[in-house]
Amino acid sequence: MNSNDIGIALSMQGVSKRFPGTLAVDNVDFDVRAGEVHALIGENGAGKSTLMKIIAGSFNDYTGKIFIGSRETELHSPVHSKKNGIEMIYQELSLALPLSISENVLVGRLPKKGIFLDKEKIYKETKRCLKMVGMEHLDPDIEIEEISQHESQLVEIGKALGNNPCILVMDEPTSALSREEVERLFEIIRSLKKRGLAIIYISHHLPEIFEIADRVTVMRDGKKIDTRDIGSVTSEELVQMMVGQTVKDFYHHESHAQSEQRLRVENLSRYGFFHNVSFEAYKGEVLGICGLSGAGRSELARVLVGLDDRNGGRVFLDDKEIKPKNMAHALKEGIAYLTENRKTEGLALRLNVKENILAGIIPELVYRGVYHEADGFPKMNELIDELSIYPPDPERIVGNLSGGNQQKVLLAKWMACDPKVLILDEPTRGVDIGAKMTIHESIEQLAKNGSTIILISSDLPELVSLSNRVLIMRQGHLIHEMEHSGCSEESVLLAANGEGIC
Amino acid sequence: MEGTEVLEKKQQNSPGDDIRTTNYNILGKIFHGAGIYAVAALFLVAGIILQALGVINNFLTAQNMLNIVDAVSMLGIVAVGMAFVTYSGHYADMSVPTTMALTGIIAVQMLQYGFFPAIAAAVAAGLLIGLINAVAIGKFKANPIIWTLAVNYVTLGVIRLVWVNKQIYPDMIAKSQWASDVFDNIYRFRFFNKIGLPVVYMIILVILLNFIMKKTKFGQQLKITGAARKASEFSGVNVERVIGLSFVICALTATLGGLTVTSLSRVGAYYNGAGYDFKAVTAIVIGGMTLAGGRGSIIGVLGGVLIIGLMNNIMTLLGVGTFSQDMIRGIIFIVVVGINAKSLRTLGRDDA
Repeated sequence: MNSNDIGIALSMQGVSKRFPGTLAVDNVDFDVRAGEVHALIGENGAGKSTLMKIIAGSFNDYTGKIFIGSRETELHSPVHSKKNGIEMIYQELSLALPLSISENVLVGRLPKKGIFLDKEKIYKETKRCLKMVGMEHLDPDIEIEEISQHESQLVEIGKALGNNPCILVMDEPTSALSREEVERLFEIIRSLKKRGLAIIYISHHLPEIFEIADRVTVMRDGKKIDTRDIGSVTSEELVQMMVGQTVKDFYHHESHAQSEQRLRVENLSRYGFFHNVSFEAYKGEVLGICGLSGAGRSELARVLVGLDDRNGGRVFLDDKEIKPKNMAHALKEGIAYLTENRKTEGLALRLNVKENILAGIIPELVYRGVYHEADGFPKMNELIDELSIYPPDPERIVGNLSGGNQQKVLLAKWMACDPKVLILDEPTRGVDIGAKMTIHESIEQLAKNGSTIILISSDLPELVSLSNRVLIMRQGHLIHEMEHSGCSEESVLLAANGEGIC
Repeated sequence: MEGTEVLEKKQQNSPGDDIRTTNYNILGKIFHGAGIYAVAALFLVAGIILQALGVINNFLTAQNMLNIVDAVSMLGIVAVGMAFVTYSGHYADMSVPTTMALTGIIAVQMLQYGFFPAIAAAVAAGLLIGLINAVAIGKFKANPIIWTLAVNYVTLGVIRLVWVNKQIYPDMIAKSQWASDVFDNIYRFRFFNKIGLPVVYMIILVILLNFIMKKTKFGQQLKITGAARKASEFSGVNVERVIGLSFVICALTATLGGLTVTSLSRVGAYYNGAGYDFKAVTAIVIGGMTLAGGRGSIIGVLGGVLIIGLMNNIMTLLGVGTFSQDMIRGIIFIVVVGINAKSLRTLGRDDA
């Protein structure tokens, strides 16, 4: 908080960005000072990444004013942003794996001597960039593939610093790093701060924010909730601001859980992802699994349906041990998995609604070797009605539907399979509130009909209100279980962050 | 409909109620469905006009029409099988030319033991190549073009190594006159002295393979796999088997094509089947099957084959030389793929 006397590096006034159907960023004021770390937090879909994309120059149709220093500018293209000294470090690495470190670090500005590359200068310049992130021991000529993930993360930061930025935006830079590597990164951030860089730091991990940030801004539903000095705020308050109370009224929950056990998992492990996970789930129950990204939730689901191998442990379905070898096998046993990535792993975007909904039950519609598509129509039409898929046209190409309706089609595909256990991985990510409510109603209906739902979600209001119980995962371990009556969004989020539990 | 409005599609990943109508423009319509036969009719009309103008003679005669179908029947046999590979999202099987040559030369060599052993040996050889492709591409995800191209060259090497550049003749190798005659008739037998056997093979294959593609579990799962392999795998489809089977079907139709070509030329040689890879892909693409997979039909591919037949016939009647014909076919391929890609992009599916 020694930064009050230093000037504002970037400020945004009344910035908005509209996508068809939603206001992703709604009249946000935001600023970052030179020599400070300004954390930006919020739940998924709160508008953080859209705001950052505006700063990166990804959109040319935002409204509002942006000032760099005291000068008003328009950040209408990535080139504008770069010229204004803004550098981004994304969550996913953006380095080209088969190229050398120097080619990556100096991309777009490789020094030349005449028409040839200036090898000596390349070497020196790369070393200079690497030194800024304490990686000068790396040989600039080796390929990115040959260095570890955390080293590449640091190389990427070095690449950004090489362009002499004034403003550095970091989007979840620690998601792939271990504890010691995070410490190292923080040291680098602190030294950058001393050199007067303005750093915008996006993260889900509250403890990190308390460690590194000077100020914190909370966003929710596209709006800025508040900006606070880190010394004057507690994690409870931040969580309160992130979660809000407005959405809560939408949710209502009835328990349909029966006493009959459906699924029992004993000491299931996949080394490096999760260890000794044991739990059971009952008929008609919605079992929530909560955890930060990287906690091992999706990996657990992938092992349950046989997409990945397990290193140990047993799974029982209706008291019968199962060992699915692949998805087809898991489906036959009665376990279905709605993946979090609907565009690549969920839907065939180029095919129509009908073909997608029936994709999982093709073998059921075959009699004497002939595929009778029409036999699936009654079920399909029922699902289109129940989920109110719009437009209700089975011939419509799925890629041309809105995100919410795509997600409904994906859910319909799994509902058509009528599984005993349905694992839902982020079932409402990136969908509008109307679709979300429909999907929630369908989840409840499934539970009422006796299916067991395992709900993996980062959307805390959704998780808390739908689940009978919530399991908390952290760094590959199941660390806690909460009953519906005992959990609130605040307690769940605190638990996932490793706080509030003895 | 003239001036159909085609809406631009962007921002696919933004939520909201941005629902687009799936209107096809006119070109899109032609390349999506049996509309390909309209194009065939157009070529027919062009031929008739040219004849009326006196530029060409003997176009619209029953005999010429039969000749056209006869001339493309072998291409049809190969193309409807390779269409499964394209449909599965794996572009094309470049090992088809030497599969044809190998199965043909093996059949000729085995004629000394009789007709049926010869056919059995040819089918076994074709099946083997199909299975090798199936495992490499289905299971180990080899790049389909590079892999089948390599298999093509390896097979070529095997033929030239074993038969040391020799050409072998069925009537000299067969010990019984009957075996030699039957082999000769694989191509030459004519129903009513008019309709050739290859045309019958083609029609049977079209009916059978169309049924398999549209009406069986395999066909439906192949469609989803071709359109989105990952999503298909996650829907419980055994994608390795489905993709593998498409390569096996392709190899088996190539075997039939190889036997027919060898019977026609009355010689077993490494060059039998040369050029069928590209000709087949051209027919498939003209027939409205997109290289991205999951879209098109066997009936459409038959349309593509007939268009190539009409085109070749008209060009020959006009006196266009063989090399010029090759060039024109290549240009048409490029144009069709371009138009197809563009019409898909206008529909918002930039994946052709």
